[in-house]
Amino acid sequence: MKAIKLASNDNVATLLGDVEKHEVVEIISADNEVIAEIKALQKITFGNKIALCDIANGEQILKAGHSIGKSITEIPLGQLVHVQNVRSERLDIPEAIIEEIIKQMGIEK
Amino acid sequence: MTATFKGYPRPNGTFGIRNHVMIVAIDECCEGIARNISKEIEGSVVVTNHYTCMYGGNEEMIDTIIHTGINPNIAGVLVIAMGCGSIDPELVAGPVRAEGLPAHTLTVIKNKGTIETIKDGIELAKQLKAHADGIERVDAPVSALRIGIKCGGSDTSSGLASNPSVGAASDKLIDLGATTMAGELLELLGCEDILKARSVSPEVGDKIERLIAEDLKRWHVIEGTETMSIGNSVGGLTTIDEKSQGAMHKTGSRPIQDCLRISHIHREKPTTPGFYLTETTMLCGGSAMHFASLGAQLILWTAGAAGFNNSIVPVIRVSGNSSLITADMDINACGIMDATDTIDNVSNKIVERVFAVANGDKTNLEGVGYAYASLYQKDQRLEHVIGICPQ
Repeated sequence: MKAIKLASNDNVATLLGDVEKHEVVEIISADNEVIAEIKALQKITFGNKIALCDIANGEQILKAGHSIGKSITEIPLGQLVHVQNVRSERLDIPEAIIEEIIKQMGIEK
Repeated sequence: MTATFKGYPRPNGTFGIRNHVMIVAIDECCEGIARNISKEIEGSVVVTNHYTCMYGGNEEMIDTIIHTGINPNIAGVLVIAMGCGSIDPELVAGPVRAEGLPAHTLTVIKNKGTIETIKDGIELAKQLKAHADGIERVDAPVSALRIGIKCGGSDTSSGLASNPSVGAASDKLIDLGATTMAGELLELLGCEDILKARSVSPEVGDKIERLIAEDLKRWHVIEGTETMSIGNSVGGLTTIDEKSQGAMHKTGSRPIQDCLRISHIHREKPTTPGFYLTETTMLCGGSAMHFASLGAQLILWTAGAAGFNNSIVPVIRVSGNSSLITADMDINACGIMDATDTIDNVSNKIVERVFAVANGDKTNLEGVGYAYASLYQKDQRLEHVIGICPQ
């Protein structure tokens, strides 16, 4: 399965299909060149994001060249980057809704 | 790439890509009369004030009708009024005539009623149609081209495929000399810093921030109004910042010349080619008429789901969602989603399509299943209550 890294300084790539835990993901650039292969640390579904490097706690998550929020914990290479480890710098999703999203998606914490 | 298109020249120096007669029902009671007249005139379009027949409180909406009347795609205007309301049809016809276009009015209660007005209206509309038919397309500079950009029913493919492709096409069109415009300020919540950095001046940046904040206030009168659904997040959107940036990608990367206000006292229009943010509504039907009133001759629409079509401003539809690729869709961006196509390549196809449609090719849905020409306006009473009273 492939994941697209939209801008060169991004630290996440977006999955173009579903992957299971431990499955290898081909990371492609916006020009469709394969630039890396990364093992997914958990199941990641279509449209979700995978960490392209180890991300420290409090670091900005860069997608398409812009920050989409900050990590609230260390995120290892290959981990799902989503509501369980990132918060907005603008307007947070309520915690109860985050719990519901984690439940519906079956995210491993 | 051609630096000109074939357009219909207008007396005020603009160039249309379509050549419509516009029939206005200035109050909803004469909507049927306008439709009856329009039925007899090929290529005519009907715009109806569906609010109330009183002018007070409807100033912004009437102004949208006036400025749609001088959209380059319009060759002449007929305004019908019932005559019992307070909106004088000359309010619309006068400014249209001042731009050098033919404009007529008919008031039903002064014109022997509905049956006679339909007869007279058909005669006047035929004269307008004959005038329109006498106008030939000529070479027009790309600087005369204004394009609205809108997204709708956004999904994962919008943020990854259709929006970035339209954004890249917008950059290319601007580099050729055109003007592009986007709206939906509320959906840019969280992108303020990026947009400010793209603005041509700190004043424009501050204006963008202020107008986004006003839109947030306007639509979040009730505390806790949701900005993201659980479905958005299950689909992969982690924060409001990410969701808004997905929408922002359709605006490309060129400098933001201004953030154009649309209100009962403002109708700011582009003054120089380039990219503009505007107060065009996020509501699809109303957005087409806002773009029309700002002089856009066509709209690029990125489709996550089904959507709207407009009779005055042709809509080029772009989607990266394979379940939406039907005969309706002008541009298929699905190849980006399975890594067989690129944003750059799809954006080239969009630019080509823009010029083809500007030169007269029909969009896939042109003439088919038009949406109602909705005239969204801000509620003046609400604006007053929440303290947004533009100076």
